[in-house]
Amino acid sequence: MHLRLIYLYRNLTRNKQRTLLTCAAVALPMVIYVLSTAVVSGVDAFLDNSARQLRLAVTHKASIINMLPEGYALKIKSLDPTGERLRAACGMRWIGGKMQNVTQPLSTVAVDAEEFIKAFDDFKLTETEKAAWLRDHQAIIVGRGTAAIFGWKVGDRISIRSSVPPYTSLEFHIVSTAEHAQDANTNWCHRSYYEEDLKKNIPEATQGMVSFFFVKCGSKADLDFFRVEIDKLFARTIDETKTQDEKAFMNEFITQQFDLPRNLTILSIVTVFVAVMAATNTMSMNFRDRFNEYATLKALGFGGGYVFTLIQTESLGLCLLGGIFGALMPYVAFMHTPLGRVPVPVIQHLEIRPIVCLHAIAIAAVIGLIAAVWPSVLALRLKVVAALRNLE
Amino acid sequence: MALPLYYNWRNLFVRKLSTSLTFAVVATLVLVLCVLLSFAAGIRASLAVSGWPQNVLVLKPGATAESTSIITPDEKGRVVQAPGIAHGADGKMLISEELCTQTSIPRRAGEHNMANVAVRGVDATAFGVHPEVKIIEGRRFEPGQLEVIVGKAARDRFDNLGIGGEVRLGRQGNRLYKVVGVFETGGGAFDSEIWGGRTQISDSFNRHFISSAVLRLDDAAEAAAAISYLNGPFVALESKRETEYYEDLSKTTRDIVALTTVLIAIMSIGAAFAVANTMYAAVDGRRREIAMLRTIGFGRGAIILSFVTESLLVCMTACLFGLAGAMFFSGTRQDFLSNSTWTVLAYELKITPTIALGSLGLACLVGVIGAIAPALRASRVHVIEALRKA
Repeated sequence: MHLRLIYLYRNLTRNKQRTLLTCAAVALPMVIYVLSTAVVSGVDAFLDNSARQLRLAVTHKASIINMLPEGYALKIKSLDPTGERLRAACGMRWIGGKMQNVTQPLSTVAVDAEEFIKAFDDFKLTETEKAAWLRDHQAIIVGRGTAAIFGWKVGDRISIRSSVPPYTSLEFHIVSTAEHAQDANTNWCHRSYYEEDLKKNIPEATQGMVSFFFVKCGSKADLDFFRVEIDKLFARTIDETKTQDEKAFMNEFITQQFDLPRNLTILSIVTVFVAVMAATNTMSMNFRDRFNEYATLKALGFGGGYVFTLIQTESLGLCLLGGIFGALMPYVAFMHTPLGRVPVPVIQHLEIRPIVCLHAIAIAAVIGLIAAVWPSVLALRLKVVAALRNLE
Repeated sequence: MALPLYYNWRNLFVRKLSTSLTFAVVATLVLVLCVLLSFAAGIRASLAVSGWPQNVLVLKPGATAESTSIITPDEKGRVVQAPGIAHGADGKMLISEELCTQTSIPRRAGEHNMANVAVRGVDATAFGVHPEVKIIEGRRFEPGQLEVIVGKAARDRFDNLGIGGEVRLGRQGNRLYKVVGVFETGGGAFDSEIWGGRTQISDSFNRHFISSAVLRLDDAAEAAAAISYLNGPFVALESKRETEYYEDLSKTTRDIVALTTVLIAIMSIGAAFAVANTMYAAVDGRRREIAMLRTIGFGRGAIILSFVTESLLVCMTACLFGLAGAMFFSGTRQDFLSNSTWTVLAYELKITPTIALGSLGLACLVGVIGAIAPALRASRVHVIEALRKA
């Protein structure tokens, strides 16, 4: 065993250049693997969180841009007068928003203030934040990602121009940066404030219309129950509804924008494939160079199995080195340097979990084993006499 | 004096496995690069051919896209006074009033999940303002009938939009419109839309206003004057060149281009290492040969050039294979939900000449970078020593 380890070490350091180049050629695809997997698992985590929240999204059946009357909230709540199984129904209106002299559009949603706190308890607002939010008509809870981009903090006054009628500039007071919200980009303001503005500027506009409702349920069973019941309640009315759980609702948006999860998964598979080829190349070159040595080893009495494992372990060691390096690089870069604060589409903050790094290292090990299959089988079958005859 | 290319070509076949693995790495790199870039290129191409320089699009100030814009009848009335508006064959002013709404239609491919497809209500003038809209099958819709025409991309990508197909539109999604024609604009954004008579669409969706007005001017040079009039205090709307509007929409593609660049850069470095590895092996295996070449009169430069050529040969052929592979994806339809209009744009993946040249350039770069260090080593082979080992 000891001898084998020494031999392994010597083999790896024999052609340092080759070892380094191969490590790098394995490490870089692993970097891509770790990054794409982190994005994909970030999206999954986002959706899983949505699934855990036991919330239903109620939209217009024909299209999400058709609006529903705000009175639906009361009708929905009448399905469970106890308020135990159906905790809250929060009407929301998407108002988009733009900052002055900034081209990038914002995502702002006007909500029913009291219901919002009940329906979105995962925001974990503090008592002071809640009080400030309820007290102030112009309060806004901003997404922490958006806040970071514009340098906003609690207490700031900001003005946002709505992207929907009446397109006026509204002044808001920031009461929270929603540190625990899963969605770090969306801002939340009072719907009554927006409605008042609409009424003032376009008196003839239809008041009290919402884009969608979020309904908070008491349990998983209630979620399944009300998903059907709400649609039944509004069946054969002028505005029929479509009720889905929050995960399905969010997923529709995510998959329609480049289908990031699917495309990145394909990409990471391709890169792993590239790493396999790079490592195989090295191992086959090594084998060719050491053809005679393996013949000599066999002639000395080391069995075919010994030579086989020798090549396997070398390849494994080589790829593990590359894999560890490739997994640690993005981990350190994103978790321990300012690079981690760079916003990423959809998930905002790229979190590289250690488990993803471990996966990458495991994959690197498998790459090592695959890369060595052909050379080690050749070594196993090596005919000693024929090989030695070719000795230079 | 340079070494003959044939020498390099033969050399590549000495190490078949190494050469083919390096080849595969570079080909995969090119394939991934082309496919990733073709996403962005497809969206861009689609938005780039949308719009005319002499068309001016008028929206409500503050609206970020046609779908969130509302123009009232009196605002619309003021638009006609803009200078330089062209007249159609029938003598009418070429002002197209358009109502943009949307509907959910299942996709044809995959799990048939729903997509938000844009529905545009237009009058007959629209065909004068947007002359690129050509009916390729069937006929135009009749005003006042429950009839629509669909863009070619929409027909290919979404369910039941062929001629004779029926689509439920309207606020309650209960008006059954019949597809009577298919139109094409040469790959523009309209190709993903459904068009119907404006008054009908307006009634079905219960939206009694227009989203936008598009003015066709006599000359693109007059656009500046028209825009300054429309944005001025008399009309107080927001107008821009139609081409500019679509260009702004394509800004979202910059995100994918940025992401692609980072990933491709990392992959390219990896590929360069793989190439270097192979070339080092080629140099090491050929020390005696190189010494021999030096002895019979080939200079250091010729040796360096020879190894770089060898690497380029592999990379460029690999690039051609990668490109050929990417061509299989070219023309595939994808769609993408714009985050400013909230409707989907069905586009084709496109391998443009720029992408092809770019990937060839990248392959060459990888080849040269990977070969340069091994080639330098080859040029420094000590002739006497290498020959003595024989």
